Amino acid sequence: MELILASGECDYVNEVICAPGNVNELFEFREPIWTILGFPITRTVFLILAIAVIVSALLFFGLRKKSVIPSKFQALMESLVSFVKDGIAIDIIGPEGVKYVPWLMSVFLFVLIGNMYEVTPGVNFPVTSRMALPAMLAAISWIVFVVAGIKRQGLRYFLGIVWPSSVPVALRPLVGLIEFFSILFIRPLTLAVRLFANMVAGHLMLTLLLVSGWVFISNVGEIGAKAGIGIAWFIMALGIFIFEIVVITLQAYIFTLLSAVYVQTSLYPDH
Amino acid sequence: MYQAWNLILATAEPVLISAETGEESGGIDLLLPAPEELIAGIIAFAIIFLVVWKFALPAVKKTLEARQDAIRSELAAAEQAKQEAASLLDDYKSQMAGAKDEAAKIMAEARDAGDAVKADIVTRAETEAAAIKARASEEVAAERARVADELKRQVADLSINVAERVVGSSLDSDQQRVLVDRYIDELGGVQ
Repeated sequence: MELILASGECDYVNEVICAPGNVNELFEFREPIWTILGFPITRTVFLILAIAVIVSALLFFGLRKKSVIPSKFQALMESLVSFVKDGIAIDIIGPEGVKYVPWLMSVFLFVLIGNMYEVTPGVNFPVTSRMALPAMLAAISWIVFVVAGIKRQGLRYFLGIVWPSSVPVALRPLVGLIEFFSILFIRPLTLAVRLFANMVAGHLMLTLLLVSGWVFISNVGEIGAKAGIGIAWFIMALGIFIFEIVVITLQAYIFTLLSAVYVQTSLYPDH
Repeated sequence: MYQAWNLILATAEPVLISAETGEESGGIDLLLPAPEELIAGIIAFAIIFLVVWKFALPAVKKTLEARQDAIRSELAAAEQAKQEAASLLDDYKSQMAGAKDEAAKIMAEARDAGDAVKADIVTRAETEAAAIKARASEEVAAERARVADELKRQVADLSINVAERVVGSSLDSDQQRVLVDRYIDELGGVQ
């Protein structure tokens, strides 16, 4: 779909790369495919809902047999669970981290599959590059770490933020102000924007390079030797593609890890 | 909720677009969560959370517990087998040691029995040899006595005959015999 949109506008005779007139074209798919009870099922909505189906299917087929000697797929799914449980929840939060595993696991899988769409042939669109998802996940993380702090320390949680006892009294108002904004506003914002920006950048690079490569090579008859640029764009796209696979995994890990770190700092403010 | 969110965004949109100085659709739209995507995201996340919470984690926990149990029982079985093997080895070793003792005992007994038989045979042979020797000595002595008697009788007869010829037959034969015997005895006593 993006290919058609972008190639239609590309001035491949005069330009060296195909850039869309409006960058939103690469991200906004607001025309409903179906409408169910007044709710528009757009391409993005469909892909978001498909994450739930894909994750559920992976978990169901990976873990339903409960074999003592696991298949490769079962072992993979089990190692994914223990990676989030032991490698993130318990490692970062401590033994108490076990009760946060369902949430952290969901965040990790949701972001991972949402990111994976970027390099999935036929989809090529990370739904996590739509602000709705990073914002929602960051909001959930915010709620979880604030509630964890209140449950553990009561209202002293907020007092500890605005009047930090670990710094000299003279500095407390300033540090408290910084901490207040940092913890309660900047944290969720950076959490959301980090994921969003990474996915937007990756998607932009991949689509521009792949579309340009395709357009220049397919119009070789008209532009002659200039089609060679297309090959260069394709080779570059291949490199970026591999790089993006790393970014996708890393961003899912970072989002989950930081969410766990925020919970840990709410539970143990002195650490 | 969806309608309400749309309403909020609809009121915000003109302001945002005008801020973008006349571009028909600016990059700022990219930063605003689309309501239908937000709702879809919440639904999808809720489903994933439920699946993870209610199915995946209990399944993994159950599997890991089953695996732990299996490993534990395998280890216990292995330990038991090891102990059984060790006790079998002990039995075997003690049997081997017993067999060796038994063999040594049997050999010693055989050697003793052999010695006894040998000693018995030697003793019997010696006894027999002594008996044969004794019997032979007795026979020799008896023969000697018989020969001596015979000699004595022949000397007596010869002496009588000689004396009769010298003296004439004045003595009866019984008297002569007594005389001769006495004479011979005297001769024996003188010797």
